[in-house]
Amino acid sequence: MSSALALRGIRKSFDGYLALDDAQFDARWGEVHALLGENGAGKSSLMNIAAGLYAPERGEMLVDDNAVRLAGPRDAARHRIGMVHQHFKLVRPFTVAQNILLGLPADQAGHRRQLAALEERIRAQAGELGFAIDPRQRVDSLSIAEQQRVEILKVLLAGARILILDEPTAVLTDQEAERLLRTVQGLAQRGCAVALVTHKMADVKAYADRVTVMRGGRTVATLDPRTTPAAELVRLTVGEAAAPAPRARSAPGPACLSLQGLSTPAQGGRQALAGVTLDVHAGEIYGIAGVGGNGQGELAAAIMGLIPEAGGDIVLEGFGSLRAAPATARRALGLAVIPADRYGHALAGGLSIAENFAIGQVHSGRYGSPWWLRQRRIDQDARDAVAAFDVQGVRSLRQKAALLSGGNAQKLVIAREFSKQPRLILAHTPSRGLDVRATAQVHARLLAARDAGAAVLLISEDLDEVLALADRIGVMAGGRIVAEFDQPADRQAIGQAMVHHD
Amino acid sequence: MELLTHWIGSIPDFAVPYALAALGLILAERSGVLSLGAEGLMLVGALAAIGAQLAFGATGVALVLAMAAASLVSVLFAVLVVWLRINQVIAGLALVFFCQGLTSLVGTLMGWTNQPVTSAGPIPLGPLAQLPVLGRLLSQNAVVYLTPLIFWAVVHYLQHTGSGLRLRAVGENPQAADAAGIPVAAYRFAAVVAGAALVGLAGAYISLLSTKLWIAGMTGGRGWIAVGLVIFARWSPWKALAGALLFGCIEALIPQLAAAGVQLPQYFVLMTPYVFTLGVMVWVALGRRRLDGEPGALGEPYVREERR
Amino acid sequence: MTKATLAPHAAPKAPARRQPLASRRYTLEIRQQMSMPRQALVLGLAVLAGLAISGLILVAAGVPAGELFNEFIVTTLFDLQSLQAVLFQAAPLIMIGLAASIAFRARFWNLGLEGQMIWGAIGATAVSLHEIGPPALRLPLMAIAALAGGLLWALGPALLKLRLGVNEIISTLMLNYIASNFLLHLVYGAWKDPKDSFPYSPQFRSFERLPEFFGSSGMAVLLALLAMALAWWFVQASRAGLYLRFVNASPRVADAVGVPVRAIILGTVLGSGALAGLGGFLIAAGQEGRLTQAFYQGYGFSGILIAFLARNHPVAAAVVAALVATLFVAGRNLQVFYQIPFSMVQLIQAIVVMCVAASDFFIRHRLRRVAAD
Repeated sequence: MSSALALRGIRKSFDGYLALDDAQFDARWGEVHALLGENGAGKSSLMNIAAGLYAPERGEMLVDDNAVRLAGPRDAARHRIGMVHQHFKLVRPFTVAQNILLGLPADQAGHRRQLAALEERIRAQAGELGFAIDPRQRVDSLSIAEQQRVEILKVLLAGARILILDEPTAVLTDQEAERLLRTVQGLAQRGCAVALVTHKMADVKAYADRVTVMRGGRTVATLDPRTTPAAELVRLTVGEAAAPAPRARSAPGPACLSLQGLSTPAQGGRQALAGVTLDVHAGEIYGIAGVGGNGQGELAAAIMGLIPEAGGDIVLEGFGSLRAAPATARRALGLAVIPADRYGHALAGGLSIAENFAIGQVHSGRYGSPWWLRQRRIDQDARDAVAAFDVQGVRSLRQKAALLSGGNAQKLVIAREFSKQPRLILAHTPSRGLDVRATAQVHARLLAARDAGAAVLLISEDLDEVLALADRIGVMAGGRIVAEFDQPADRQAIGQAMVHHD
Repeated sequence: MELLTHWIGSIPDFAVPYALAALGLILAERSGVLSLGAEGLMLVGALAAIGAQLAFGATGVALVLAMAAASLVSVLFAVLVVWLRINQVIAGLALVFFCQGLTSLVGTLMGWTNQPVTSAGPIPLGPLAQLPVLGRLLSQNAVVYLTPLIFWAVVHYLQHTGSGLRLRAVGENPQAADAAGIPVAAYRFAAVVAGAALVGLAGAYISLLSTKLWIAGMTGGRGWIAVGLVIFARWSPWKALAGALLFGCIEALIPQLAAAGVQLPQYFVLMTPYVFTLGVMVWVALGRRRLDGEPGALGEPYVREERR
Repeated sequence: MTKATLAPHAAPKAPARRQPLASRRYTLEIRQQMSMPRQALVLGLAVLAGLAISGLILVAAGVPAGELFNEFIVTTLFDLQSLQAVLFQAAPLIMIGLAASIAFRARFWNLGLEGQMIWGAIGATAVSLHEIGPPALRLPLMAIAALAGGLLWALGPALLKLRLGVNEIISTLMLNYIASNFLLHLVYGAWKDPKDSFPYSPQFRSFERLPEFFGSSGMAVLLALLAMALAWWFVQASRAGLYLRFVNASPRVADAVGVPVRAIILGTVLGSGALAGLGGFLIAAGQEGRLTQAFYQGYGFSGILIAFLARNHPVAAAVVAALVATLFVAGRNLQVFYQIPFSMVQLIQAIVVMCVAASDFFIRHRLRRVAAD
């Protein structure tokens, strides 16, 4: 088997941040080659370079043993490289056929004839791969799994023989993921080279012929996953084994937060939240596990107060129904939020660290009356918090928050939210994009808050995180809590609940 | 009856500038570029048409030169917005004021202000012109007759050609278009310049064929109304044509009412187009939560290598 | 690899540079930040570039090149009468610049400044014509009426945007045209001065005009500076200012962290309208002494220019406003001496805005060369 795609010595930085440092990758014709690594390891960046979207600063790329330098995605397509991204690059109002047509060179026959001929080819190719698709359907009316299939058809019909799939199973159910990976295996058997970017060990072991492990922008090893034990793969992926957080379990208090039948109005036939009912007690961490896209984001938004039209009720012990309280007031009642989208819901990147910190408690009057801000007090508090919560990279309190690295930005959010001794904490994928050390620090903070008597609602798509932190686990699927487990919980049972819902 | 005839016959004169300007804006905005400079480009077209007519005496030539002038000025806007990716609202406003200042300056220096011109009249129709109401309606100049054709051509381009598909892709999702290898910047540039030609034609119509005169600032906000019209029409050319006709009907009514002796406070009557535009905007907003038809990436500059 | 084996590539997104032999590619990146002094330098260079281009146009229009510097700087600033005129002009420009700045901070494109000015002047004139209040209080009442007039004219677009999502660019602009027509209706009709045939209101009585204070323009400038101090307090020192900064940076984040976004936007826009109304008052009760038909022309875009160059900072806005006032006065001189139409000023402003906006590109992006090897 000869080499289809080879990247050697790749170096790439984004405005000072080194994303790839001497990265290598080598995929052969006819194999499924997995690219394994945690978030931020550089897998997507490396593959974006292979697909012609980014240009490397240093290093070389070979296609079929010929050195190439790609000028853009069209050039990559010419070299028979096609990439299916995590975030689909589909034009939503267009039909399937129109989307696929975009990537193809114009035809003499004229647009309408070309479109008709393409619709035929789409049906044929889909049939070959084992599924049916209507080329005249609008993309925004397709499910996520179907849209992904459109993306695959797109690259295949553009002539790709080297396929790169970036975290393809992240948004699929287990069944859909299985179908996809089997399709991918079929493609490899037909001679294509497939690069599969993933962080899921199970997929790698089951479907990959070889795996390259990346960590911190470098290539760590290339192995055969079938003969390498899972523990070894984990060790290579995460580096030093992160010690599991100590599990001191104190008796939980009364129910602090009670969700009763929380639901959202139907949009496009689907309800994001279809009646969520659960209780979180003081002094406990309630972890919500589930595949992404089952209403987790909407649940967080509803608790934050961003969905006023939600049905059902959110009751805060000692206050009553939160429906009466807008987002501003909820903060004042002791709700702390660590949202998933740091720069969309927690930090204003363009404002300074001091300002981002101050906004946490300025409503309560701690930093002065509405007529005059007490800047010195803000600065003092911010400085103390930055030190206490180990926020690194702060050269000045006036510097823009966007300059902080992911882990430190998250720590700043926590510093702000926890400074006011919250009684209720909502943490939504708190360790997304963080390295192992930062994740351990974040987890320690959550546990400490729990031990101090706060009620913590943890929503995470990372089952390991939920298992490590939660005292009780609820599985969320289809907008509802479908099963609850006490710790120690059976991982398999939880996994089952995540995919089999009625 | 006379009134009705005159009213209906004068509608195209009022409607065509709105229609052409709106179409030009739609073309540019379908590629994702928010085009607020219509008021300025119309002025450029208006001035250039008069200047060319005074210099060459041929209406057709004047119209073509007007379109070219507007396109040329729009290149400046395109450079700012597509290449340099500056805020499209600021660039649009700056363009309007740039054109207002420039046309006023050039008009004065070249002595073109207030110079009446003779330009092409209605197309000779022979016996058809004698028909009761229809005769007056059909007696229009060539540009009026061209307008539906131009609309058809643009719609055909957008809906039924590969190039039009790519243009719409650029406006809906430039990341997807870029990934498909479509040159986003080139399409946006071309759309802005081509759209500007139509906007320039609209302005030229007002000065050369309608009033047959140039005065600084003569478009009087019609470019802004066209911007509102595009939102009202939800970026669909045929709806924009309908909207332009509606506006034309209303504006054409005003002088007819005055001729009929209906006493209306003069300045309130002049306010009508603006009040109407405002009303239309509110009506649209009341009707829909989200403006579907709005190109997905309208107003956002596109840079490929983005990291947060 | 030698140069010969690499085919020349077109630069993907950056403006193409001529690279005859070597193949170099340029890629565009978003810069994380640029230091303040460097930003100021880029800004300054851009303004100079804009003025230089304008200078070239002026020369082409017939102003002798040697005279340019003389006209713009020397005559305008070093002549006492001219300096008075600059200060005179600066006061309303400061007001309008402040009005634009605070509205833009709320991400509200308040292009209706001229209409708000008009209603401010109308409000003040109404108080004068109907003789509301005793003479001692007349002027303050006029000011309050002006404030209210501008504020109320901004209320409509603000509510339309907040409640219905109506694009404020169009709504405020349409209201401008409506206001200007209403003004004409008044000065040609009900409020026309019976003494002569010009379209303006009767003259204000002596106690209805701004008092003399360090010359004819001192009072207006003082009021403008007070407004500047107020705006500074609002933006920098008050709690609402912090909220406003969040609304400006990211309305989504502001919402999520508990900022009362809608109230802040509404309050800021109303404040903007009020300031614009006061600007109208300054002109009517200060410069003109009556309600005239075209006093507001040119202020709208000037306000935008000032806010844009000053990056919405109140004190910087005052400084830039003074510079724009210099431009206005120089423009009038050009009109008188060289028959350059006053719209030249508008052209110069537009060119400067374009240059500064273009320079923003270099502040926000970095052009990086990807070496051939």
